[in-house]
Amino acid sequence: MSADRATSIRKALDWGSLAPLRLRSRLVAEGLYAGAHKSSRRGAGIEFGGHREYAPGDDLRWLDRRSLLRHDRLLVRQFETETDRALRLVLDATGSMAYRGDKAPGSKLAFAALVGAALARVALANGDPVGLAFIGGEDCPPVPVASGREAFERLIGALENVHAGGDARADAQILDRALGVLARAARRGSVLVVLSDLLDLPDIAADRISALTTRGRAVVVVRVLDPDELTLPFEGTVRLRGLEGEVVVETDVEVIRDQYLAALEAIRAQWDRALVSRGGRLVTATTSDDPVRVVRAILEAAR
Amino acid sequence: MSLVTAAALAIVLFVGLPLVAHRLRRQRADEKKFAAARLVPPAQPRARRRAKLEDRALFSVRSLAIVALAALAASPFIRCTRLSMQRSGGASVALAIVLDDSMSMRAPFGNATRFERAKAAAKELLASTREGDAVAIVLAGAPSRVALAATTDLSAATATLDALVESDRSTDLDGALELSRGLLSQLPQVDKRVVLLSDLADGNADSAPLGQPAGMALWAPLEEIRVAVGDCAVLSADRSADRVRVKGACGSGASAQGREMTLTSDKAKSVVLAHAAAPSGLTFEVTLPIAKDAPAALVATLTGVDAIASDDSAPVLVNTGAASIAVIAETSDESVATGGAPIVEQALTALRVELAVRPLPALPDRDEDLALFAAAILDDPAGLTPEQRRALDHFIARGGVVMLALGPRAAQAPLGASFEPVLAHGTSWESNPAPGADPSSAKAGFDESAQSLVDLAAPSRTSLSADDVQLLARAPAAATLVAWKDGAPLFSRRAMGRGEVWVSTLPFSVNTSDLVLRPGFLALLDAFCERAKQSGSARRGDVGVAWTFVGATDVTAQGPAGPVPTTRERDAPSIVPPLIGAYTLMVSGQNELHVAAPSVRELDTRPRALSTAAQTQAMGDTHAQVDASPAIAIALLALLFIELALRVWGARLERQPAS
Repeated sequence: MSADRATSIRKALDWGSLAPLRLRSRLVAEGLYAGAHKSSRRGAGIEFGGHREYAPGDDLRWLDRRSLLRHDRLLVRQFETETDRALRLVLDATGSMAYRGDKAPGSKLAFAALVGAALARVALANGDPVGLAFIGGEDCPPVPVASGREAFERLIGALENVHAGGDARADAQILDRALGVLARAARRGSVLVVLSDLLDLPDIAADRISALTTRGRAVVVVRVLDPDELTLPFEGTVRLRGLEGEVVVETDVEVIRDQYLAALEAIRAQWDRALVSRGGRLVTATTSDDPVRVVRAILEAAR
Repeated sequence: MSLVTAAALAIVLFVGLPLVAHRLRRQRADEKKFAAARLVPPAQPRARRRAKLEDRALFSVRSLAIVALAALAASPFIRCTRLSMQRSGGASVALAIVLDDSMSMRAPFGNATRFERAKAAAKELLASTREGDAVAIVLAGAPSRVALAATTDLSAATATLDALVESDRSTDLDGALELSRGLLSQLPQVDKRVVLLSDLADGNADSAPLGQPAGMALWAPLEEIRVAVGDCAVLSADRSADRVRVKGACGSGASAQGREMTLTSDKAKSVVLAHAAAPSGLTFEVTLPIAKDAPAALVATLTGVDAIASDDSAPVLVNTGAASIAVIAETSDESVATGGAPIVEQALTALRVELAVRPLPALPDRDEDLALFAAAILDDPAGLTPEQRRALDHFIARGGVVMLALGPRAAQAPLGASFEPVLAHGTSWESNPAPGADPSSAKAGFDESAQSLVDLAAPSRTSLSADDVQLLARAPAAATLVAWKDGAPLFSRRAMGRGEVWVSTLPFSVNTSDLVLRPGFLALLDAFCERAKQSGSARRGDVGVAWTFVGATDVTAQGPAGPVPTTRERDAPSIVPPLIGAYTLMVSGQNELHVAAPSVRELDTRPRALSTAAQTQAMGDTHAQVDASPAIAIALLALLFIELALRVWGARLERQPAS
């Protein structure tokens, strides 16, 4: 890829102040190390790591029968892992992820890529393999699970090349292509991190993604929003065009702001309910947040 | 392309620009990309919501304002059905508006009356006047009078018109035109016009056509109100003992047949005390029986409907009718000479003084008996008893007028029968040292007639005491009207209270002198009767005719429509009743009831003919062009205020939280 080509792609991707990804991701990861001395993740293993509520899909082998008999509660035993766990990143690259508000340092896709790259660097540094899949997007072939420096370079290259596109609500196969592989190939103990704005995913996406928690997989969904999407900062009458599909809405912001925020909260609650009920976690972030804090929150959620 | 076309195009452009601006303002809002657009519910934009109210209203207001501005610049003239003056040139006009406020103008015209139509027409005329025009307003209700002297203050004219109200007066068109001529004649404007707003029903339908006042043009629009209508009126209602005599009259072509004359109490008009069918004819009389214990205040009403309702009822007066004059004369001697009534009675009848002559054998000695008369003539009485003197004193104090002709019998008055309070001392009948009157001594009114008394054949005359002579000559209360050649009074007059005493030193008998055969005698009686009529003894008079109270110090009056102003006429309080009905007067501390009756002439509603020149429309038009600029300017200002109000309202709406 020529330098011009790379520049044009970066511009198309709208990295904003997040570029270059490689350096930024390292900085994020190093910042993370400064505060984290132990990176432990719960999952299948030998050393007992505690209990948690049973969620449908959990491996019945780890159901704590004594707790069931003693407390009449379904609890699952957790163990400290001793083996490398693959980190599978799923990056939402549909059209809506290209949005960048006036106050944001970059687009949602860029922020998600930065967080993903940082996570990948952390995982690779711990010897864990990392894989990458995209929901939607253009020029974005999945990166198979691999470890080592080359794997990071491929992952960075994929993240830099991607630019948003596609409508997951209109094209159900977009979601299937990303999640189908994961459902089949992700091994027990894998950590699945889905980075998405959750705005234009199909209604079944929450169930499909939370269902990945089966087979001992840890699922963390990171909702990445632009600050504008949290506040709807427009004034007066605006005509809003969605980045996916042909959604065009003419509205009076002062009149509908509360309704919009309620709808946004309803989506978050839906995802949170779907994930928590199956042992997954939802982490929310905005593109103006400190990426280090976001990565740390993801790692804590994935333990 | 003509100028008009260009102007029209410019107006279209001016109207179109706001429309375009309005449409541009209403274009779609700026489109923004927003990832979460799917979650944003659509809402009607505020601008569009406002467009339903504020913007459309503002657009309309602005468009109208521009149209008004263009129209204002064009100074348009519009044709409308209103009176206006035609101007042949730019010179200012002196205009006298003669507004008829007589009773016939109370006749209905559409939903209003003729007077209201005339008043509205006067306002329309005023609206067509310009700065520099002089306007005078004259009222044609008798007596014609000036409501507003000529002025260039048009607002004063409008205010005067607003204050004018209908009256029941008769019509005095000739007098009103003459007044108008007098008002305009001294004005500098060359173009002098008189506009007559009247139904021309002055009771002289058969008289000569109304002509133009000299030196000015007459215009009489309002042909639509010049229609004869039927009207009947109650002229008088007099109560005497157990009956009430009601007189009525109808205008030409009208009849009271089929209607009833009813008698009701003034306080309870729904209770009919007596009624009788009204006979037909232009004049009629109905006698209604009445119980002796019936209320004192009664009203006679002619039922049914005619053109004018205000003259269909009249208050009932007790024992009135035409004012009368009592004549107390010695008939035995006179009848020998004349072969009939005393010569003073015959003279009064010949003069047609509009006073009923009532011969009496002796002067009444009761107040109530004398109160029936307006005047009394005592021809050579043989003194007065104390009772007579007291009654006479009260009679004079209340306004009665007494003629005392002193002769030989007066000189032979018995002891105790004096002439007090008229004369302080007795009289004597002596030979005349200077026969004949001195014409130079005659006061106004007797100038010519005194000539006939120069060679008066009177061998004897009454001699008065020096005190009485002085009393009868002392100004201003007394005066010698005509003196003998030696300066002694022949005819004297002395005011006493509200009344007057006239003293003649010759009796009215052919046996003592030839005074009664001379014109000077008739002049004396005529002046005496005129004074008697002025004394106010006639308690019923035509509406619009002044009641003068000679000798009264102060007079207040309460009419049907409230207090009536008192004026002074010939140094006496005077009241002009503008409406038909009862008037409660306080005359020098005494209550009196007077009644204003309709004028019979006013019942004839046939319009008087007009001269041909007055019917042309050279001076004005009923569908003339009127400058609409002032109205448009006001409309423009109103539009400006509406726009400001809309903006304030819109701003308040925006400040309110959206619901």
